[in-house]
Amino acid sequence: MRNKLILVTAILFNGILAFAQEVDFEEYDLNNGLHVILHQDNTAPIISISALYHVGSKDEDPERTGFAHFFEHLLFEGTENIEKGMWDQIVSSNGGSGNATTDEDRTYYYEVFPSNNLQLGLWLESERMLHPVINQKGVDTQNEVVKEEKRLRVDNSPYGKFIENIKKNLFKNHPYKETVIGKMDHLDAATLEEFIAFQKKFYVPNNAVLVVAGDFKKENAKKLISDYFNTIPKGQEISRNFPKEQPILEQINAKAYDPNIQIPATMIAYRTPGLKNRDSQVLDMISTYLSDGPSSKLYKKIVDEQKQALQVGAFPATQEDYGMYIVFALPVGETSLEALNTEMEEEIEKLRTDLISENDYQKLQNKFENQFVNSNSSVEGIANSLAEYYMLYGDTSLINKEIEIYRSITREEIKDVAKKYLNPNQRLVLEYLPEQNTAN
Amino acid sequence: MKTTYILLFSLFCFFTVQAQVDRTIMPTPGPAPEINLGEPETFNLNNGLKVLVVENHKLPKVSIQLSIDNPPILEGDKAGVASLTGSLLGKGSKNIAKDEFNEEIDFLGARLSFSSQGAYAQSLSKYFPRIIELMADAAIYPNFTQEEFDKEKDILLTGLKSEEKVVSAISGRVQRALAYGKNHPYGEFATEKTVNNVTLADVEEFYRDYFVPANAYLIVIGDVTLNEVKTLTDTYFTSWTKAVPPSFSYSEPKNVPNTQINLVDMPNAVQSEITVQNLVNLKMKDDDFIAALLANQILGGGSDSRLNQNLREDKGYTYGAYTSLGNNKYAPSRFTASAEVRNMVTDSSVVEILKELELINTQPVTEKELKTTKALYAGSFIMALEDPQTIARYALNVEKEGLPKDFYKSFLEKLENVSKADVELAAKKYFNVNNARVIVVGKGSEILSNLENIDFHGKKLPVLSYSKTADRIETPNYNVSVPEGTTAKEVIEKYIKSIGGKAKLEAAKSYAMKATAEMQGMKLELEMKKTTNNQFMQDVKMMGNSMSKQVLNGDGGYMIAQGQHKDFSEEEVMKIKEESALFPELNYTKLDGISLEGMEIVGDKNAYKLKVNDIKSAFYDVETGLKLQEINITEIQGQQITSTSNFENYQEVDGILFPFKLIQTVGPQNFEFIVSEIKINDGVSDVDFE
Repeated sequence: MRNKLILVTAILFNGILAFAQEVDFEEYDLNNGLHVILHQDNTAPIISISALYHVGSKDEDPERTGFAHFFEHLLFEGTENIEKGMWDQIVSSNGGSGNATTDEDRTYYYEVFPSNNLQLGLWLESERMLHPVINQKGVDTQNEVVKEEKRLRVDNSPYGKFIENIKKNLFKNHPYKETVIGKMDHLDAATLEEFIAFQKKFYVPNNAVLVVAGDFKKENAKKLISDYFNTIPKGQEISRNFPKEQPILEQINAKAYDPNIQIPATMIAYRTPGLKNRDSQVLDMISTYLSDGPSSKLYKKIVDEQKQALQVGAFPATQEDYGMYIVFALPVGETSLEALNTEMEEEIEKLRTDLISENDYQKLQNKFENQFVNSNSSVEGIANSLAEYYMLYGDTSLINKEIEIYRSITREEIKDVAKKYLNPNQRLVLEYLPEQNTAN
Repeated sequence: MKTTYILLFSLFCFFTVQAQVDRTIMPTPGPAPEINLGEPETFNLNNGLKVLVVENHKLPKVSIQLSIDNPPILEGDKAGVASLTGSLLGKGSKNIAKDEFNEEIDFLGARLSFSSQGAYAQSLSKYFPRIIELMADAAIYPNFTQEEFDKEKDILLTGLKSEEKVVSAISGRVQRALAYGKNHPYGEFATEKTVNNVTLADVEEFYRDYFVPANAYLIVIGDVTLNEVKTLTDTYFTSWTKAVPPSFSYSEPKNVPNTQINLVDMPNAVQSEITVQNLVNLKMKDDDFIAALLANQILGGGSDSRLNQNLREDKGYTYGAYTSLGNNKYAPSRFTASAEVRNMVTDSSVVEILKELELINTQPVTEKELKTTKALYAGSFIMALEDPQTIARYALNVEKEGLPKDFYKSFLEKLENVSKADVELAAKKYFNVNNARVIVVGKGSEILSNLENIDFHGKKLPVLSYSKTADRIETPNYNVSVPEGTTAKEVIEKYIKSIGGKAKLEAAKSYAMKATAEMQGMKLELEMKKTTNNQFMQDVKMMGNSMSKQVLNGDGGYMIAQGQHKDFSEEEVMKIKEESALFPELNYTKLDGISLEGMEIVGDKNAYKLKVNDIKSAFYDVETGLKLQEINITEIQGQQITSTSNFENYQEVDGILFPFKLIQTVGPQNFEFIVSEIKINDGVSDVDFE
């Protein structure tokens, strides 16, 4: 329409302005090594209390996979002062909600309440850290629940086994080769003593960060935190020394079969550096460039214009020690998987050889800014980010500074990173195929 | 020295205080937090558009919502026109082509979407001026083209078609149609016929009539100033022509005089969807609105509620049973209690749901239930305030629903004041167990007789049957008994006769067939060859590649699946031999153990059910004698898997009738094979079985 020119100047002008948004926080350690982060925001009467433990599936005994995720469930079973089965009821009858998540590197527990329940939230999380009840009954109950979860999320779910197959092929030595949900026979074989030992080793204050975010008074919060958490004994120092991976020098070809799908998929995966490495953020930008939104490169070409794929995507799986970078597509009609691989490689090759256009670069900046702004819209979201920036990235202030990293990434850097990690001889090509039922 | 003492003293205090925390006692909540409910600024444009602005500068972002609050619209024999209008809006404008429009929104990192009665956009606040301009442009100068219309109509028709087998979709449609009647805006629904009545001109007319500013609200939330919004709305929305939508009259829906069961038969259903419903007159401004919310929450609002505790936790009938209570300022709304349950427990579930409805009418809610439920409501009310959208939604409700200005400011206070008696009164008023429709959508042949035997207040509940389009129909007779004297042998003979007669069938020495199936854009090709010399070949190809191939040649054979070659065992050879006969029925008359099991309905036809062996049953049309269906049970890794084959569209080849449409269903997968070619005594040679 009219005024295209004005639009462009407006963007340039705005681009120069500094970004005013700041997430205010304060952090300190208790004597037992528990790291505390406070983010005060009194605009709404809400409070989020969360604890992130630096334990994930990579910390497991290779013969006892699935433990970290199992503990995500087990630590809702009750404590010495909270009866079995009462946890959820306490939270909801006080107007709150909560949950937990586990991945390869960390486990995160949280509650959100109206702000008059700060003390209750701290009590709950301190009970969980100090003396959770771990007994055979709880283990047996959660064993069934976890199996149902695996049926629902993995066995019965279309494309549910793709991550497992990529990990298996990209990692040969590092525990990232295993899945988060783990092997059910490992869980069946585990003894109560093993569960208790795992808890004693990892769910200790010196391996955790506590975040309180939202509407509270700092002095009061600090006092309550000290009251409830100071008495929790410090655990043993944890040392981590995971086996390293050898570089991939030759393309890996693999196949996987899934009975829950009708349409095959092709997946191309690369092993990338850990999340502290700046290159990891550059790869993040590359994903958005390739597949986010109807005008992104892969989508526009393969789905919209050439109609070869139903769906195409690129995403980085960021992890502490190594990352994975995954590009995938689902074919339409008689398009072969090879043809899709060729099309995808063509776009990746362009990234390795040419600079992306100025216009695309500006679009990326807009998208990341929008994402950044929206990621900080709830106190619980902010709490989660603060905890991860501290524990995994080692720098809490990234909550405000990460956008500067994205802003500082240049078009040249995008090209260099593509050249460094996204070469055909460094990739896994996984054919993900429907498993045929023996019909008739 | 002195300072040291003070330091020691304060340390001492510190530890004393700490020791006072008794962690065996659960902390109680502090005083309720003060609620700070912001109020939006409002102003009107001359064309009637009301603008609400909630300034919130916490984050540099903005959302814009356009919402047109028209009275219910009756689409009549063009039902679907509203949905099509919504789909066609936002595809560029008269001023900007679609691709350019999409590219620009993407470039800004923003989102913009339309419906038939509104639009929504979200972006960084620095792009607010442009995004509101784009929204206004697409809303006021839409570009309706025949090309996009045809595309969207196709998508809508495909969607309707795929809904036909979805129990929940049919249930939802029938619930509304029965509650309101099909001539009410809330009861009507789109069908293939009504959608095909819609033209591009109808969409344009619908847009002109109803996409008008008379009842429209524009809500802007975020990092903007009131003045900026005033200037921009003035600039971009003033040209929206002032108009008032046409109004209709329609009949007032009524509850049924006595509770009854309305059954919709869906033979493919593995679960029944049960909905007990009655109409309610509930508006947000009613005095008992909050009491009604609480009553609903206690009865079936969440996983802790009575209904779910009974049906899921206690009985294990369902994954979840819930109730919902609507409110509407224009027309009656619905109260529903619903659950998806397995076929076997359909009648028991109906009984339990009705029982819970009675109980909440007769057995008072407990203090504990009331307290917990209030806490839950208060908590979610407070926590919703974090989102600036909440303030706008509340303000909009105050406007649209005619609520007192302080409705939300005093919400927590009103909530606290609701008494047990208030909740009980609301329950009596809105949960109407004596004038309810119990709508059951499920497999009639397995659930009907049990439903007919439900005892309610000492009487049987009437069971009335309805079609999937909510028309009253005769209740099918699922228990047609086999006519006296009919035998399995007669059924088989009738079948053989109906497809061409024994002589013709025995003259056929070989058979070759090709068929294709379409599966979400993927093409499956099936090729099958058989001879009377125990030769059999079946090859399934996907995208030109063989996915699975089975070959039998005399006493040996093999299969290739996923590139793996495997020879058949002796047992497998035997099994395939049976299957590979050109017309297995020719042998049935000789076999023992084939029995006539009874009658069943296949599709809409009465059929004889023959048990061929432990794992296979076949169904033959009572009228024509043709084979309609086969059901096979296979065991894979300890799990029994049922596969169903349906045979339709019989056509003649060399004097023998063959089905030209084969529908194979295995679990959730469904393949519809269309036969392109059948050859008898032609096109088959020994090479095919090597």
